[in-house]
Amino acid sequence: MAFRRLVTLFALAILIASSFAAPSLRARADLPESAVVSTEWLAARLDDPKVRVVEVSVVPGLFERGHIPGAVNFVWHTDLVDPVIRDIVSPEAFQKLARAAGINNDTTVVLYGDNNNWFAAWGAWIFAVYGHEDVRLLDGGRAKWERENRPLSVRPASYPEGNFTAKPARREIRAFLSDVLAVVKGEAEGAILDVRSPAEYEGRIFAPEGFQELAIRAGHIPTAVNVPWGRAVKEDGTFKSVEELRQLYASVGIDGSKKVYVYCRIGERSSHTWFVLSRILGYDVAQYDGSWTEWGNTVGVPIKNPAGTVWGRQ
Amino acid sequence: MTETALGGGAIAASTSLNNPKVAAAVRIGLAWLIFSALLALAFSLHETPGRGAAASLSLLIGVALGVIFQRGRFCFFCIMRDFIEHRNSSGMFAILSALAVGGIGYAIVFGAFMPNPSGGGLPPDAHIGPVSWVLVAGGVAFGVGMALSGACISGHLYRLGEGYARAPFALFGSLLGFGVGFFTWHTLYTEAIATAPIAWLPKTLGYGGSLAVHLAALSALACLLLRYLPELPPQAGGKITWQKLYRTVFVTRWNPLVTGALVGLVGVFAYFRVAPLGVTSQLGSLTRTALSSAGLLADHLPGLDALAGCAARAGHAITNNGLLIGGLVAGSLAIALFTNRFRLSRLTLRGALTALLGGALMGWGAMVSLGCTVGTLLSGISAFAISGWVFGGAVFAGVWLGIKLRLPE
Repeated sequence: MAFRRLVTLFALAILIASSFAAPSLRARADLPESAVVSTEWLAARLDDPKVRVVEVSVVPGLFERGHIPGAVNFVWHTDLVDPVIRDIVSPEAFQKLARAAGINNDTTVVLYGDNNNWFAAWGAWIFAVYGHEDVRLLDGGRAKWERENRPLSVRPASYPEGNFTAKPARREIRAFLSDVLAVVKGEAEGAILDVRSPAEYEGRIFAPEGFQELAIRAGHIPTAVNVPWGRAVKEDGTFKSVEELRQLYASVGIDGSKKVYVYCRIGERSSHTWFVLSRILGYDVAQYDGSWTEWGNTVGVPIKNPAGTVWGRQ
Repeated sequence: MTETALGGGAIAASTSLNNPKVAAAVRIGLAWLIFSALLALAFSLHETPGRGAAASLSLLIGVALGVIFQRGRFCFFCIMRDFIEHRNSSGMFAILSALAVGGIGYAIVFGAFMPNPSGGGLPPDAHIGPVSWVLVAGGVAFGVGMALSGACISGHLYRLGEGYARAPFALFGSLLGFGVGFFTWHTLYTEAIATAPIAWLPKTLGYGGSLAVHLAALSALACLLLRYLPELPPQAGGKITWQKLYRTVFVTRWNPLVTGALVGLVGVFAYFRVAPLGVTSQLGSLTRTALSSAGLLADHLPGLDALAGCAARAGHAITNNGLLIGGLVAGSLAIALFTNRFRLSRLTLRGALTALLGGALMGWGAMVSLGCTVGTLLSGISAFAISGWVFGGAVFAGVWLGIKLRLPE
């Protein structure tokens, strides 16, 4: 009898302990689950055929040496941009890529990657451009999954061909030089947001440290305000709460009342901010993927360079 | 316990310490100390932020290579010289065995990393390089440098652990050679390397087909080399005892086939967990950092950073490859002490100068060929890269030339 009582007591203890642990197993209440999912959420759905996990990392070999079990690999340099023309991947190529990954029109796509989800966010933006509804990011990216000692796999996953159909590109979430120029000239309404570092924004440097200089003018697009992309995340790489994010951007006048145009150097960091503003805060946002490497090199467009640096005479 | 059981100390009397028993104890104690320190370092690297498992594994892989190279005498130059000068092909079988095991392992890992080889890309960081006349020139220079300096770069690294006094000169020379390589890189790249084909067998033959061709080619070479295999000593049968086992592992030289197979296995593990085996990227990055910070070299070398191989980017810190090299030297030193093979060799001025010059030739060759006998030959051929075979052939030709010119004397 005593043994049975002990077992009951033990079971009760586990029950109480697990009820304490339960909150951490739920998704974060302060972020919309339709946009951002937690590692717990994903870990519980790895076998769900309606959920497809896609890794987009920039470091070569990272996916191959271990990825979230069942994930497929999209390579930014060749899969998500056109390898010849400077442009995003064509709808035909993207449809083929998504179908080969077993993605259907109603699949929940969860993207993650290295570098704080920069390129995963580019992937999310491409999915959105071609009209896929349910695209989410893994909060904290690859780093958080690894930090929590969650399993990684090296086995390639293979899925039956999906039926994803790329819709015509949504122009309203992608901006070209002419769209941004119209805002600068006051011909169209909008707010421009530069998400690069203050040193790049002010023109003190031509490219971030460790990167090759790709633009021959430094500075920023006139009227643009500066919120470095990293201010949207906490120290561990997870997103800040909706309220914190709202305040962060409101402090520079980005409050959703006007259409927002985000840019950075080549569009990778601004994909991250595009995701925050459009998918988490629900603002009307277009990403200008031509970004500074187009603007800072284009003949005749106005720039603002508070630092006054002159190319070639640093 | 006899001295032999402690570490093959039968010839310990020749150490500088007069009492052979004391000398053996010091030697073996030192060996244990080095192994323990390496193990402790591996543990602490694993816990160091920014380092982790890759760093710790790199060190351990280096130690394993040091032990295998030393016990098996896996020295590309010695092996080729035995064959060219003495018509003894037994060492060549170690290379063939390493390539066979490496090829099987790489095929398995490739299948997981990149299920479809015909898709246009190349597997991550595998040493598959451009094939041009520069690769041939680099290989021949490397081979001549081996003959002149007495070993290839990996050979010098493990022989440094054995007390080979020419090794530091050759390794320093290779740093100079790397420097020259960086200065010639721009011209060679734009003239030849940029447009050279990067030929990779699985792209056309698939993994199965490539492995079949790979093993067939190695078998054909083995058949040709079989007649140069010296007669083996008669082997005693009987029960395996502890003494016998000890002798096999720590006293007698390892069988070439076993040595090669172990090298192949370590190569596959290294590729699977960290990066393909190579021993020159740290040397290259040291030189490059020094030249860049002295303002002598442009920060950006066109094409170099995008090609997979051993010519690493400029960097200040000790890279994983540096840990591997350190592990290799320390591992070889420890096992040489333990088995009483450590001998500080005599150094002549001529020996030092030829080592320096040979090292410089090897450094230049390794730089323009994106690796040495380990990185380009071993890791390249195992990865089914045509560049590996071309480099291997060129190195052999260079060594042959060097020996015919009587450079090693």
